[in-house]
Amino acid sequence: MTHIAKKTVDSSRIREILDGKKARMKTCLQACAACSLCADSCFMFNGKDGDPQYMPSYKVIKTLGRLYRKRGNVSRAELERMQQLLWRNCVLCGRCYCPFGIDIPNMIAFARGILRSQGIYGVFPHTSGSTEAELQ
Amino acid sequence: MYDLLRGPVFWVSAAVCVCGLIFRTIQMFRLTRAKIIPECRLSPARNTPARQVSDEERRLDMVARFRNSVIWRHPVVVAVSAVFHVCLFAAPILLVAHNMMIAQAGWVALPSVPDWFADLMTIAVLVCAVFLLVRRIALPKVAAISSPVDYCVLLLAVMPFLTGFLAYHQLFDYKTVITLHALAGDLLLIALPFTKVGHMVFFFFSRLTMAGEFCMGRGRRTWAA
Amino acid sequence: MVIAEIKPLDEIKQLLGGYRKVLNTGCGGCTSVCLAGGQKEVDILNTKLSLSFKAENVPFEIDGFTVERQCEIQFISELDRMVGKYDAILSMACGAGVQFLAERYPDKPVFPGVNSTFVGVNKDIGWYEERCKCCGDCVLGFTGGICPVSMCAKSLFNGPCGGPQGESCEVSKDIPCAWVAIHKRLKAQNRLDNIKAIHGPREWRDQVQGRIILEPYKARYVKNTE
Repeated sequence: MTHIAKKTVDSSRIREILDGKKARMKTCLQACAACSLCADSCFMFNGKDGDPQYMPSYKVIKTLGRLYRKRGNVSRAELERMQQLLWRNCVLCGRCYCPFGIDIPNMIAFARGILRSQGIYGVFPHTSGSTEAELQ
Repeated sequence: MYDLLRGPVFWVSAAVCVCGLIFRTIQMFRLTRAKIIPECRLSPARNTPARQVSDEERRLDMVARFRNSVIWRHPVVVAVSAVFHVCLFAAPILLVAHNMMIAQAGWVALPSVPDWFADLMTIAVLVCAVFLLVRRIALPKVAAISSPVDYCVLLLAVMPFLTGFLAYHQLFDYKTVITLHALAGDLLLIALPFTKVGHMVFFFFSRLTMAGEFCMGRGRRTWAA
Repeated sequence: MVIAEIKPLDEIKQLLGGYRKVLNTGCGGCTSVCLAGGQKEVDILNTKLSLSFKAENVPFEIDGFTVERQCEIQFISELDRMVGKYDAILSMACGAGVQFLAERYPDKPVFPGVNSTFVGVNKDIGWYEERCKCCGDCVLGFTGGICPVSMCAKSLFNGPCGGPQGESCEVSKDIPCAWVAIHKRLKAQNRLDNIKAIHGPREWRDQVQGRIILEPYKARYVKNTE
């Protein structure tokens, strides 16, 4: 449990993981035409009154896409923002529809693994940030 | 300059395009592997007998699935995308002027459509592109995931049609416009396999072969690693 | 995960008969993953019900809403603001979720839209297989990771019985004998000792509702620990 308090970002480790599936993930990211037709298939998107931050494509582009674009050189704060997108905004039910057949859940799972390598994990409750009053 | 663009540069671009698409297809095969579909023997001891589904319920199911499909829910987007893509391919291939050049180069004479029809298809591409652009800017959910690349890709796809339209109707300086047209066409050909426009390879490969809820084929492939 | 199967349409129609305005609640947990009770199934079922009732000239309205998991208060509480408008609730969650909804909204009739079938795995797209009976007394540690409770027709703790036909169960050729598989695996791992000793029968307690409170949380919930 010693590494839990680590606050820095090991960019070379992130890069290592990114490179492990580079061809596949980049092909998938590039295939996205940013058409937004995946939005409707996400019950969280519909449940949150169509907030774009719950769109499957948004969750991938702003996490995995950003990690590839920045080649792993991201700040701790950025990773923590990704944590919200990858765990709070997604339950990984695996039901996203993509007209091009992009395997979105797989990409989200991969991105989660990258965050875990930096000691950032899913939080319980997943709606972290909700106040007690909201939950009552 | 124009002769260069419609001559050697075109052939190089076309070669890059074809080789690139082949490369992309090979890459998709390499990134995936054949999937061993497990075999299941249904035994009466283990499986409850299949429920009799009436024709009426089957029909109802099909209707319900269709009504909840992307076609029914977003008919305009689907229709516009379909028209856009069909015309994007059909217009340049079926244009008399293009096919005359190919015939002059000693190749086969390809079938053509009347000029007015090709013009209509070009206008369709332009109108659809404007729709897609407006949608990208105006709808928050689309704007949220749009990057400069998405706008560039749209511009890249539309430029040959815009310049082609201007050239055909002899608007602006013809010589400049037709040169730009050839340039835009060559650029699109080169970009086809290597940018987001290449989603055509991914689409067919993924939706037709990859196992998954939305696979339209047998689903006999899956990711390699 | 919990595997469920959508109920026949006629059965659901029968359950909902007489209710004019119904809320169909999907579950983003297990039943979503096994393609039985997610948002898509909710939408499709709602369309089917609407069309079907309409054809019979029965006044009927149905809306859908899917929550993360119906087995957790914080997620189902999201429904609080909407249930008031409805005469009944249909739940596409497993039996646990259905009951949790019924408990939270005691004055609303809550109906199940799926049959929860077993705890199983996703063998392939659309193919699920049982792996666990939730017997509460896991023996996988000495059976080579193969569960005789769910895989053996007799749920034997000591096997095989006298019945196996080759590698098959006497019940059917299409059912592999769990104990032959256990023996094979343990032998390969050089662990046959594991099943040489006789394992006593499971302690079949009175069949009461199961409950687990993790040790660190005992102090939080249990008032009088014996």
